[in-house]
Amino acid sequence: MLRLKRIIPLLMALLMLTLALYPGHGQANAQSASSTDEKRTLTIGLSPDFAPYEFLMTVDGNSKVVGSDVMIAEEIAKDMGAELVIEQMSFDSLIPALQSGRIDMIISGMTPTDERRQNVDFSDLYYTSRQVILTRSEDVDQYKTMDALEGEQIGVQTGSIQEEIANSIPNAQVTAVKTISDVVSLLSSDRVNAAVFEGPVAEAQVKNRPGIAIAEAVPEDSDTPMAIAVQKGNTELVNEINVTLERLRATNAVDGFIQQANELNSGETAPSNIFSFFWKYRGFYADGVKYTLLLSALGVLFGFLIGLLIALLRLSGVKILKWIAVTYIEVLRGTPMLVQLLIIHFGLASAFDIKFSVLQSGIITLSLNSSAYLAEIFRAGIQNVDRGQMEAARSLGMPRGMAMRTIIIPQAIKGVLPAIGNEFVVIIKESSIVSFIGVADLMFQANAVRTLTYSGLYPLVIAAGIYLVMTLILSKLLNVLERRLSAGDSR
Amino acid sequence: MIAVKNLQKSFGKNNVLRGIDTEIKKGEVVVVIGPSGSGKSTFLRCLNRLEDVTGGEILFEGQPITDKKHNIDKTREKMGMVFQQFNLFPHKSVLENITLAPIKLQGLSKADANKRAEALLQSVGLADKKNAYPVQLSGGQKQRIAIVRALAMQPHVMLFDEPTSALDPEMVGEVLDVMKKLAEDGMTMVIVTHEMGFAREVGDRIVFMDGGVIVEQGTPEEVFGAPKNVRTQDFLSKVL
Repeated sequence: MLRLKRIIPLLMALLMLTLALYPGHGQANAQSASSTDEKRTLTIGLSPDFAPYEFLMTVDGNSKVVGSDVMIAEEIAKDMGAELVIEQMSFDSLIPALQSGRIDMIISGMTPTDERRQNVDFSDLYYTSRQVILTRSEDVDQYKTMDALEGEQIGVQTGSIQEEIANSIPNAQVTAVKTISDVVSLLSSDRVNAAVFEGPVAEAQVKNRPGIAIAEAVPEDSDTPMAIAVQKGNTELVNEINVTLERLRATNAVDGFIQQANELNSGETAPSNIFSFFWKYRGFYADGVKYTLLLSALGVLFGFLIGLLIALLRLSGVKILKWIAVTYIEVLRGTPMLVQLLIIHFGLASAFDIKFSVLQSGIITLSLNSSAYLAEIFRAGIQNVDRGQMEAARSLGMPRGMAMRTIIIPQAIKGVLPAIGNEFVVIIKESSIVSFIGVADLMFQANAVRTLTYSGLYPLVIAAGIYLVMTLILSKLLNVLERRLSAGDSR
Repeated sequence: MIAVKNLQKSFGKNNVLRGIDTEIKKGEVVVVIGPSGSGKSTFLRCLNRLEDVTGGEILFEGQPITDKKHNIDKTREKMGMVFQQFNLFPHKSVLENITLAPIKLQGLSKADANKRAEALLQSVGLADKKNAYPVQLSGGQKQRIAIVRALAMQPHVMLFDEPTSALDPEMVGEVLDVMKKLAEDGMTMVIVTHEMGFAREVGDRIVFMDGGVIVEQGTPEEVFGAPKNVRTQDFLSKVL
């Protein structure tokens, strides 16, 4: 007979171990291990979904960050005599990471806007890109001037400068989506007729995806400069960076880097067989599975404990506690998990300056959400235990708490184990939502592969297959546990 | 040992107990009889406060246990109770059912608790069932284990709430035998039952309840042999 008491320390130990195995904060790990000797390291942050500036490439099934920004960073590190360490994260996590000192600088195609200048310092500009209009090849002649775009369906990436440009086109119907490859998918599936893109990014897409082309129309005043961000007041580093940028400018090196990166990018040909496709990108999926499992395991563990507590509050018989529990359950069950996630990750940060890392936000959201469902499951389980059990325990002199712990709850949990297992399976699937804020889970990695391969179907089918395997294995494990726990009812 | 003064209990507007006065002496075996709905089970459950009383007072060994400030858990350790539906803990083995409370509440070592449990199991003829789970036992066996579980706390009094009502007829005897032996050993007992033969044989005092009050009480000879009250006569004529 398994006892909760014995399981909890085990789970805790497991938790410690897992956390120890996951350095970093949910974003993909540093690419090159930092050396242990006194050699200086330069840690840069970037969001590798922006070919040809920074993007992912597969080397032996593992992902590697490449691109013109990476080449520039390598030059800077070389001049400084430092070793380069790359941290990947979502674009909107970059500035917080810099401010908290987790990275030394940002080089991620970032435009030094006034708003950003309030929070970080910027180097000299190292590149200025232009904006272009992307359309389907057969429509390319329709868009010779910007006027032709008036009232048109236009696709852009959410939160980008391109979105601002699209919004300034009269009567345009703008569709904004999360990633560059989604924008292109909108275009090729006729859902929009044009898209605003950064020049080199558009060229990379045209090269890799058939059926799209760059139109003649050019958005006005749309030059976007790029600079490297450092912590506010770190003039020493800015000066060092500027020396390197000056050297690169003298030889027009940046243009060369972009061309090189474009060639790297087009070198990526994805296998047409789904199995070899999976094998080639297995490293991505393996990384993603690790985070998905970590998130689900912790979400389930904390959800279990919080849910039990809430169920007990609800059944406590004290009116105010019951009210709190009911409100908690109704609010968490009655609002979308995505909204909860965004409130916890972005809402709390902007309103109360509570800044969780993406991984923390993901775990907290999953725990809270599942705790509400588990609380109701536990309540049903506890209420289903025969009243006589509590009376018998109390009649022996056990206080209410002890009777709950030793007599009622073990029976309640046993009774609702299938329902709990169901909830665990749900959490594994729902955990995919955290990719939204940039946790490098399975869904996030599937999207990365999608961006990388310009393939719309395989990366998602493979992710679906892996989710299915995980949930099936979990169901089997729960069946085994259920059989183990059913000692004493040999019916 | 137990003094009950003007005990009242109501569930909402339903007055189940309407003023009960009685005293239970050390070593006495009191059998409570009466028609269903007479309040006899409620009366028993008030004695260890499984039901909170609405009015009146109960003193156990001199202490007012109906007082809100009284630690009822400590008192319950000295008052064993046996239920109609046995209420064994299905997720625990027979031995665990018996030793759980002595270990948790009296601080007995596992070895000592096991020794105590095994001796008690021996005395009810179920020593071979110590590793079984409740679901593997017959009703009569379950009830004997339930009695042993209560006895393992070494209570000063045992309360029985219709202990044989849920049993198949052929198993009633084995449970009553255990109770008889307990009575012979001098245990103070309060028994709610419909087993009139047993009541007559074992009871020191018979209490007949109806309508939430004690209608008549006395020795078995008095109550069964020459009931004075009309309601007692009526009830006995139906059950005997």
